[in-house]
Amino acid sequence: MKKLPVIQQPPPPDFDVQSTSEPERSLWQALKTVLDPEYPISVVDMGLIYGLEKHDGEVRVKLTFTAMGCPCMEMIIDDIRTCLKKQPGIETVHIEIVWDPPWTRARLSQAAIEQFRQWGITV
Amino acid sequence: MALVTEEALKQRLAEGKLVETKEQMSPRYLEGIIRILTVSADTELISAPAYYLAAQDAPNINAFVSAMGIIQDELGHAHIAYRILEDLGVDKNKLIYERKPEEFKYPYAFDVPLETWVELVVANAFYDRAGFVLLGDVFKHGKFGPWKRALAKVDKEENFHLRHGEMWMRKLVLQPDGREKLQRAVDWMFPLTVEWFGLPDNLKRHTEQIEYGFKGSSNDELRQQWLSTAVPLCEELGLEVPAHYDASTGKYVLDFPFPSRFVAEEKRWLFEEGPISWDEVLERWKARGPKNKEFVESVQRGYRDFLQTEKLAS
Repeated sequence: MKKLPVIQQPPPPDFDVQSTSEPERSLWQALKTVLDPEYPISVVDMGLIYGLEKHDGEVRVKLTFTAMGCPCMEMIIDDIRTCLKKQPGIETVHIEIVWDPPWTRARLSQAAIEQFRQWGITV
Repeated sequence: MALVTEEALKQRLAEGKLVETKEQMSPRYLEGIIRILTVSADTELISAPAYYLAAQDAPNINAFVSAMGIIQDELGHAHIAYRILEDLGVDKNKLIYERKPEEFKYPYAFDVPLETWVELVVANAFYDRAGFVLLGDVFKHGKFGPWKRALAKVDKEENFHLRHGEMWMRKLVLQPDGREKLQRAVDWMFPLTVEWFGLPDNLKRHTEQIEYGFKGSSNDELRQQWLSTAVPLCEELGLEVPAHYDASTGKYVLDFPFPSRFVAEEKRWLFEEGPISWDEVLERWKARGPKNKEFVESVQRGYRDFLQTEKLAS
């Protein structure tokens, strides 16, 4: 297997996926449609995606969870894989689970925080 | 604290205001809201031991964590409803720990043991979907403020539970024997969930539920809502269900005698005997099913042991 470049530190919580460049931009946009199973907020806005790189037909994702005992791990992994596999030109999806740096509420985007507030949930 | 008259309450509801405190309720309203909240709280609470029995059959550690996450959510939901009952003057500890098993008011379905991972995920897809439909209705249309607001969280989490069920059903159906195992579970659990929504509208006794805004839709409307997503899911997976969509009326039609006699110990419906009366169903519900005593006692055991130890120490 071709060695892929190392993914750097996670993007800042409020980074604009539009600021990325193709081919990754359309994949980031696709991930904006993958929702956390517990609260319908995208995995991007939840700050769970620590990195994303495309190389030929292969996409590599660094994914974290809000907690090590997250009950939705399988579901989130499945949903991300299904979503990315549907994107044009993607043959393989590698999902690497990372725990460093640990997820905190600071990883939530402003849009996510506002959505939680609308539901009456303080974050 | 004095309660308001029926007229004052109706005036408030007519003005489109939510009911917020006990002091804004009439005696009949208070009695009704306590009844419906108790059903909701008991349902969430007893789903915990019911799900735990089957969670022990989880096929891997992540699946076990998911199941335990669902159980924790259910206990949280139970706590929300019991906590609101406490605000209405109900003694929470007495309600949870000092009632007899048969006095609990959760759906009969939870008295029938879920014994395998297959049955657990079908329960997530069917029972949690029923919870999602019923509580989603209260969340959207309910007029009792504290409950409505608390349900924002519940609504989201129940959605996760039913998706968990769907995801696993999709996985299991691809396994050798998977479809057969799912079909066996669907065969007894589908009619039990249809029954969960209660008496048909023309036989319903507690009419205050919609009038007071405890909920927004009738039993039959909610049953239709449940069928409208549960049936297509099963059809997509190639599982047979005794219900179909009738395009001419725009409604789902049941293809089994409803209600029917059920042999809980064998998880088997006696459709061949034809429809029975609702009185007979109510009798079965009242008598409770095989696991009622065990599940309630498992919830109450720790409290009793603790009290006993305290008594001995003093």
